[in-house]
Amino acid sequence: MIERLRPSRLPVAIKIPLLIAILMVVVAAGISKAVLQRLEQSQQNHFHELKAVYLEGLATALKPYMIRRDPWEVFDVLDRARSGYSAPKAKVTLVVGADKKVLASSDPRAFSIGALPPSELASILLPPDLDDPSGEVWIKRDLYEAGVHLGAVAALIDVTSFQEARRETLFALIGFNFLLTILLAAIGWMVVRRAMQPLVRLSDLLSRSTDGRLPTVPTSELPPPDTEAGRAYRSYNSAAAAIDEREALLKRLASEERASLIGRYASALAHEVNNPLGGLFNAVRMIQRHGDDQTQREKAAQLIERGLTGIRNVVKASLVLWRSPVQEAKVTPSDIEDLRYLVAGDAERRGLILSWDNQIDSEVPVLVQAVRQIALNLLLNACAASPRGSAVGFRAFETGKILYLEVTDEGPGLPEEALQLLLSGPTIGVPASSGLGIWTVARLVSELNGEIHLTSETGSRIEVRLPHHAERALKPAA
Amino acid sequence: MSSGAFVRKGFNRRQVLGAAAASALFAPAVIAKPTSVSFGLTPVFLDSDIKLISQIETYLSAQLGVPVTLVKRRTYMEITSLLVAGQLDAAWICGLPFVQHRSQLQLVAVPLYLGEPTYRSYIICNSSDAIGDPIETRGGIHAFSDPDSNSGHLVTAAWLAGMNETPGSFFSKTIFTYGHRNVIRAVASGLAHSGSVDGYVWEVMREVEPELINKSKVIRRSELMGFPPIASSRATDPGIARAIGAALINMPNDPLGQKILATLRLDGFRQGEPQLFDSIAAAWQRVRRDG
Repeated sequence: MIERLRPSRLPVAIKIPLLIAILMVVVAAGISKAVLQRLEQSQQNHFHELKAVYLEGLATALKPYMIRRDPWEVFDVLDRARSGYSAPKAKVTLVVGADKKVLASSDPRAFSIGALPPSELASILLPPDLDDPSGEVWIKRDLYEAGVHLGAVAALIDVTSFQEARRETLFALIGFNFLLTILLAAIGWMVVRRAMQPLVRLSDLLSRSTDGRLPTVPTSELPPPDTEAGRAYRSYNSAAAAIDEREALLKRLASEERASLIGRYASALAHEVNNPLGGLFNAVRMIQRHGDDQTQREKAAQLIERGLTGIRNVVKASLVLWRSPVQEAKVTPSDIEDLRYLVAGDAERRGLILSWDNQIDSEVPVLVQAVRQIALNLLLNACAASPRGSAVGFRAFETGKILYLEVTDEGPGLPEEALQLLLSGPTIGVPASSGLGIWTVARLVSELNGEIHLTSETGSRIEVRLPHHAERALKPAA
Repeated sequence: MSSGAFVRKGFNRRQVLGAAAASALFAPAVIAKPTSVSFGLTPVFLDSDIKLISQIETYLSAQLGVPVTLVKRRTYMEITSLLVAGQLDAAWICGLPFVQHRSQLQLVAVPLYLGEPTYRSYIICNSSDAIGDPIETRGGIHAFSDPDSNSGHLVTAAWLAGMNETPGSFFSKTIFTYGHRNVIRAVASGLAHSGSVDGYVWEVMREVEPELINKSKVIRRSELMGFPPIASSRATDPGIARAIGAALINMPNDPLGQKILATLRLDGFRQGEPQLFDSIAAAWQRVRRDG
């Protein structure tokens, strides 16, 4: 699960909107910071102007009364100014005389006549901290007349409106940028999804391929050929057609190879049938000449019986081998044993010693036609390659749900092309002329998910390992 | 306003005298070919009520048949000085200046408040302060209205003199606000701990500006004294003085006059007797003697 969430594993349709969103967040953060800094600067300027206007206006009105040190008139000015100025919002305004005591304030209950001014007045920040958590900032202006210090006018200004404006701006920026990010990510997702649609469909078509075949895109659904998607679909369709053609060719080749095997076998069969024919004719002549002789007649009958039995065995094996194109799902001991009759004649004719070891004593769930075709091909090839008087061996056994077929000979070993075919499987292509039998073996083994192992110290030893079918495959075809 | 505005120019005194003598006492005076009459106002009451001032001007002008100019000054002293100097035909002054300049002034009319030509002085404090007795205002800041105000200064000074105290010794600090409304503002805001105010003004403002008045409370009421009168200089032609007095006394009979009286919460005017202000004179004497 975590592996699937790695950025490199994410689909492009997610990755690109995600990247847009991340980019937007970064850009929005930068813009927000710049806007807030500008706003802060603007507020500072605005506050400075308000402060100047407020204190300057008060100073002009207050000066005569500060000179007279008239608390009532100073209070009257401050009290009237409270309703006269809408901004800044002064919570309290006070006038401090030259004696550093309050002359009057707009809130006499907090700062009465003659009281000491608040200590904050001694340490007023410049520029003021508009972010002060208290939401209040002291401002102050000293007043002089003819160079004489009259005192100062100071005000406690409510700056929560500034803080509120900045907070509102921040929230507005966050909200707007959030919506913009979502919108752009959604647009990015739609654009990428639309752009990726051909790729996604091609990927889907490729994953739906069965038996090496690819489904094609119907002509009616093809986009115009001058578009990127149109070209991609057409290229895909061409590739799918080529693969189809190749598969068809391979099937035809397999069929031809089978026919070739039949031809070879027919020759062997004719030979096998022909061999006893001489003996049968001798027996017939024996009956014709010495039919009266009981002993001779019985001997001739035995000869005929032996010859016919041989012919029957060969014919029976042939019938089993070619009886039906329907694949039997199980290999029986006799299916292996029958092969002996098919090979024995060829081996005998070539003056070879056939060593046969069939250890299969029960049904093995492997496709029988394929097994027999593999074994027969390998055996006939071994016979063809072996010098006269040498031995050709065959062994069949089952271990751990795997059927083993082992063919050995004392020939010069497999040619390079045949080796490559066996070891690399049928994927490297169809052989030009010879070696079709070996290619068929490789193809069948691959189809049965089997393996081929080769050793060739003296002669050749080919071992084919064929795993059992899955349970479902064991059920006979209807 | 220039000083010329209240200086009579080309006034035919004999014509006025003749007309005033011929007119009935309570009938509106008719002045032959007048130029103007000047009438002074101290900041007794609503010192910023432009509408009221305009109405009084209109009423008096109509009653006297001459243009009447109302003259306002910030302090009692300014108006009193102009009146005594003969630069005003008449003025609504406080009882104290009338007493102080008795020999130079003559009574024109006295307002009737609650049917009587009398009023009281109040000592007030902030309504949130737990003060029940005026003596508890000792050591605080006290707001006076005007040094020449009876109710806004003299009464409290006389009360203190009775205790062998002066404002300077009794209070930590005193301030003059030059207006009874300002005294109330000073006390209501907390600028002053207590204040001396005209009882009539305080009562009327209780209707007009209850929010302000509710921030103050009365802790001492004086005895009844003569209401601030309308006076003229003895140098003023008696005919003019009578004409002004007649116009004021006729006020309840005139629609505009009724409006003015309603605004001022007064019942009317009557000819007053100088004895009305004897108690103020006595207080002044006491303060002068003991202060």
